Amino acid sequence: MSGLADKSVLVIGAGGLGGPALLALGAAGVGRLVLCDDDAVETSNLNRQPLFGEADVGARKAAVAARRLSRLYPAIRVEALDRRFDAGSAAGLAGSCDVMVDGSDNFATKFLASDAAVVAERPLVHGGVLRYTAQLLTVMPGRTGCLRCLFEEPPPPGAVPTCAEAGVLGALAGFAGALMAAEALRLLAGERGAYAGRLLVYEARPARTRIVVVRIRAGCPSCQKRLGLLGGPAEPACEVESSKERGGRP
Amino acid sequence: MALSERRIARYARQLILPGLGEAGQERLLAARVRVVGAGPVAGPALLYLAAAGVGTLWVDDPDPSGEGDAGAWIHPPDGRGRPRTAAAVEAVRAASDLVEAGVLRPGAGPTAVLVAGAAQDVARAVAEEARLLGLPHVVAEADGEGGAVTVVPVGAPCYACAFRAGHGAEPTPAATAQVGALAALELVLLLSGAAQAPEGRRVEVVRGQPMARATLRLPGCACAGAAARPAP
Amino acid sequence: MTPRARIDIRAYACPLTWVKTRIALERLAEGDALEVLLAAGEPLDNVPRSAAEEGHRVLAAEPAPAEGPGAWRVVLVKGAPREEPA
Repeated sequence: MSGLADKSVLVIGAGGLGGPALLALGAAGVGRLVLCDDDAVETSNLNRQPLFGEADVGARKAAVAARRLSRLYPAIRVEALDRRFDAGSAAGLAGSCDVMVDGSDNFATKFLASDAAVVAERPLVHGGVLRYTAQLLTVMPGRTGCLRCLFEEPPPPGAVPTCAEAGVLGALAGFAGALMAAEALRLLAGERGAYAGRLLVYEARPARTRIVVVRIRAGCPSCQKRLGLLGGPAEPACEVESSKERGGRP
Repeated sequence: MALSERRIARYARQLILPGLGEAGQERLLAARVRVVGAGPVAGPALLYLAAAGVGTLWVDDPDPSGEGDAGAWIHPPDGRGRPRTAAAVEAVRAASDLVEAGVLRPGAGPTAVLVAGAAQDVARAVAEEARLLGLPHVVAEADGEGGAVTVVPVGAPCYACAFRAGHGAEPTPAATAQVGALAALELVLLLSGAAQAPEGRRVEVVRGQPMARATLRLPGCACAGAAARPAP
Repeated sequence: MTPRARIDIRAYACPLTWVKTRIALERLAEGDALEVLLAAGEPLDNVPRSAAEEGHRVLAAEPAPAEGPGAWRVVLVKGAPREEPA
């Protein structure tokens, strides 16, 4: 645990994926956890979000998460932001932590997180669960592919069902969130990461694992921007306002 | 018997899963699971079993909570020294009032067993007892940075047949969380009927990669003899 | 086709609209029809589509002004159970 006390991890979302990730990262002793969630707890969350219980329905997730994590792990610092991870906040939040863990539940935020990681040069652990399938990918900016390298375009609205439409099992999200935390801890220790440039897809019913290699794609607007190959003002495909461009600290 | 409105709202996100539905949710509600262990592997497992709507959870652990329980998700440091079972039951009740939770009592009749992070000798004994009673069971072991979950549906090769020694390394909090959640996942798939072809299998997690293998009966093992009825 | 069962899900918000519909379908036999009274907007967009994705047939979807403002009547026929992708 030595060495983790002065590290910080940003966790986007404190729900199905972010919840178990935060619980595992706190238990491991990461010195500072920053979480970002602008939702209130709903009863249908309770099939999969272990930070929240019966008494929390209606309460703000950020506040409940902060209380719960602080009680379990009094030695660490928890910064619970009751706000959305959006184009305005992304760069600052990404730059303020050593590693990013994305537990968000929609593609717009996932792409934003990927863009922010690339701009801020922070490793990002991306995760997603839908029905009985979980997927994990680590983005090492400049070295391995980002989400835009993998998906040339964000899927059009309605093409991919949300968990509200398709369903999700809490325990699968818990497994994925714990795997994300373990990956973040590897990255904090300076290791390469099990999912760096390798999308892991786990299908829970057959217990089958597949790996898809994700390299930096030549036409990726996010990676090219960072590598300076395109130059000039930001391409519309990358949503993050770079703090460099705003004159802030990179 | 139909699900109540409250349960429909609570389990909305999983009721729509293929292979689950109202029937699967009712099977979960009817299940009574004995959970052996109330430490770092059991904590996440208990919370996810409760979240899924497993109707009754009986916790079986003789120890008080201590330093080693920091990663359990359910043992706040201000509760050190309390019986682990008490904190575990409290955590389950806080998570969900739609399931029953209690300390395991003599004469309790579980319909399934989860061994969560127990010592090897305890795991073997409990698994064998479950097999002889014709109960499906899952054994979860954390080891260093990963671990393994062994799934034993009724009639499948037993835990002893499937066992492979790990490194015996002290498990990390991320490992116990992985293995606890995975064990809950396997048990929910088995109990609900959503498991596509319930088979004995062992899922190992090594450096973040799950690797599953069907379990095989060792020649001469007693588990070959009993012609057990398939799980309902 | 005379519906075997009828449900009125206008009081529910998504995603409970599809959840209630799916439970009702689950209780029927293959080939049975289910009449669903629902609201225009999200429920009308989601419920028939989710039903079709699960292999059920959308027999009808029409406005039902007699039932109230914004009401639609959707008739679904339960499809064969099929092995879903993971």
